[in-house]
Amino acid sequence: MNEATQEALSQSNFGVVDTVIVVVYLCISVVIGLLVNRYAGSMVNYVGAGRKVGVWLGVATMTGTELGLVTVMYSAQKGFSGGFAAFHMAVLAGVGTLFVGLTGFIVGPLRRIEVLTIPEFYEKRFNRPVRIVGAVMLVVAGVLNMGLFLKTGSMFIVGVTGLASDSSALFWVMIGLLLLVLCYTTLGGMISVILTDYVQFVVLSFGLLTATALAIGKLGWSQIFEVVHHELGPAGFDPTLEGAGFGWSYIVWMLITAGLVGSAVWPTAVARALAMESEQAVRKQYMWSSISFAIRFIIPYFWGICALVFICSVPAGSDLKDLFRPDEGTPTLNNLYAMPVVMGRLLPPVLLGIVTAGMIAAFMSTHDSYFLTWSCVITQDIVAPLMRKPLSTAARVRLTRMLIVVLGGYVLYWSLFYQGSEDIWDYMAVTGGIYFTGAFVVLMLGLYWKGTSSCGAFLGLMSGFLMLLGLEPIQKAVGLKYAINDSEWAERLTSSQIGLLTVGVAILLTIAGSLAWPDKPAQDNKEHTA
Amino acid sequence: MTWELLWKVVLVSTIGLFALMSLFVTFLGARDIKRLIRKLEDPTEDPQQDSHHG
Repeated sequence: MNEATQEALSQSNFGVVDTVIVVVYLCISVVIGLLVNRYAGSMVNYVGAGRKVGVWLGVATMTGTELGLVTVMYSAQKGFSGGFAAFHMAVLAGVGTLFVGLTGFIVGPLRRIEVLTIPEFYEKRFNRPVRIVGAVMLVVAGVLNMGLFLKTGSMFIVGVTGLASDSSALFWVMIGLLLLVLCYTTLGGMISVILTDYVQFVVLSFGLLTATALAIGKLGWSQIFEVVHHELGPAGFDPTLEGAGFGWSYIVWMLITAGLVGSAVWPTAVARALAMESEQAVRKQYMWSSISFAIRFIIPYFWGICALVFICSVPAGSDLKDLFRPDEGTPTLNNLYAMPVVMGRLLPPVLLGIVTAGMIAAFMSTHDSYFLTWSCVITQDIVAPLMRKPLSTAARVRLTRMLIVVLGGYVLYWSLFYQGSEDIWDYMAVTGGIYFTGAFVVLMLGLYWKGTSSCGAFLGLMSGFLMLLGLEPIQKAVGLKYAINDSEWAERLTSSQIGLLTVGVAILLTIAGSLAWPDKPAQDNKEHTA
Repeated sequence: MTWELLWKVVLVSTIGLFALMSLFVTFLGARDIKRLIRKLEDPTEDPQQDSHHG
């Protein structure tokens, strides 16, 4: 990192008062975790908060989980590179969640069956091997999916505080955040997660709304749209154009990914639905959360757009132009840094502290939910079904806590060594797709088509491995992505096209497998279809 | 309607709805927390709650 870059990255309004706000907030979160530790005695309490969560707390915790720091970062990156055209994903996410709330699609029947995890449904509907295969697919995809969370979240912290100028800061921030989340999650399980999600919701909603209003005030409403026109042209508004990296295949892929899967199939969201006190409460939770599912994308997209406007049109941001959008050549800095660096300059002290505290809380709530969900799936759906003797509740909670620590070690390793350069959102859609392309089809057909058989479900789940072809290092290895010259690459199939292909294959294989190898009548479990 | 106008409407309306929802969640969510703690403190409820898993 040269001197000019260090100088540009070190400029931030983040000061002592902001540090105090962040530390006080974190202390409050840890105290809550300690206070509710005594309720985490049973597995239903530890993993599902005793299935006693009311509608409004459910909305807060759903928002707290899904509005994570990594969401803010990858969405800001999309806004920075794609402009307002990225908004189509937010609309699809909101409409998809509203659809789930109105119809109870997938989550309603799941709550009625009273399962703790999705693989548990596979066993009730199909058989134990399908549960174990489904759980393995889920864990592989989920753990890969959260692999870059730690690094991305830490990039926000060092970017917004001005620490990015110190090249070793990112590593130490990653270590610090990881230790904080591990201590906190192992303490209280889902109950502490839900309570701090609520506190996070209150802090973050205030911070998001105030910061957005302030950014509009400082940059100017008309100016924001004019600069996007100038910098990105029509592709900055029209998502059907290929110029901003979207296009029709991307939109259809997002309809499935952000629209339906994100709310009805993704385990961290489904875990919140399964913790609700009734199916009616689940539907209400989803209807209200549709606003959160849209806003969790829209505000960060808008912040990314504001970063673009600040860098390209405001004199105070001119030193950042060569780093993020040079007139010639390639940028020297990852554009993930653009939003936090600009926010560090745009927001005043105190508000910057509140927003940073809210973001760290968002980071913690996403991490603890993901750690808890994946470790619970390993315990409940892989280890417990494979044991000859039933595992006691105490043993399950202990194993879940140990797995959380193991997952923490993996996340640190992956953050340090993964070499792909795709947008974070596309990385997440691809890795998540290993699980959800098959699970979406198997859940949908398993719940709504009585003819779905164990063999069909097995084939549908396994087809998710096709999504590995969407990962950039694998695309390059198998020739799906090839170099045109020293700096340019071409794709034979985009990751969104691979995703759509995988969903199609999963549907075909599930139906064909079910018709060719139906379950014996005794294995039919018709009460578990909607 | 142009794309620009559509995104302006989407931005303003979702932020407005989110602001309104935030007020609901802040006040009614606090009430739900009290109820959750009260239910968790009641040892007579769901004594067999782990029995049907795994």
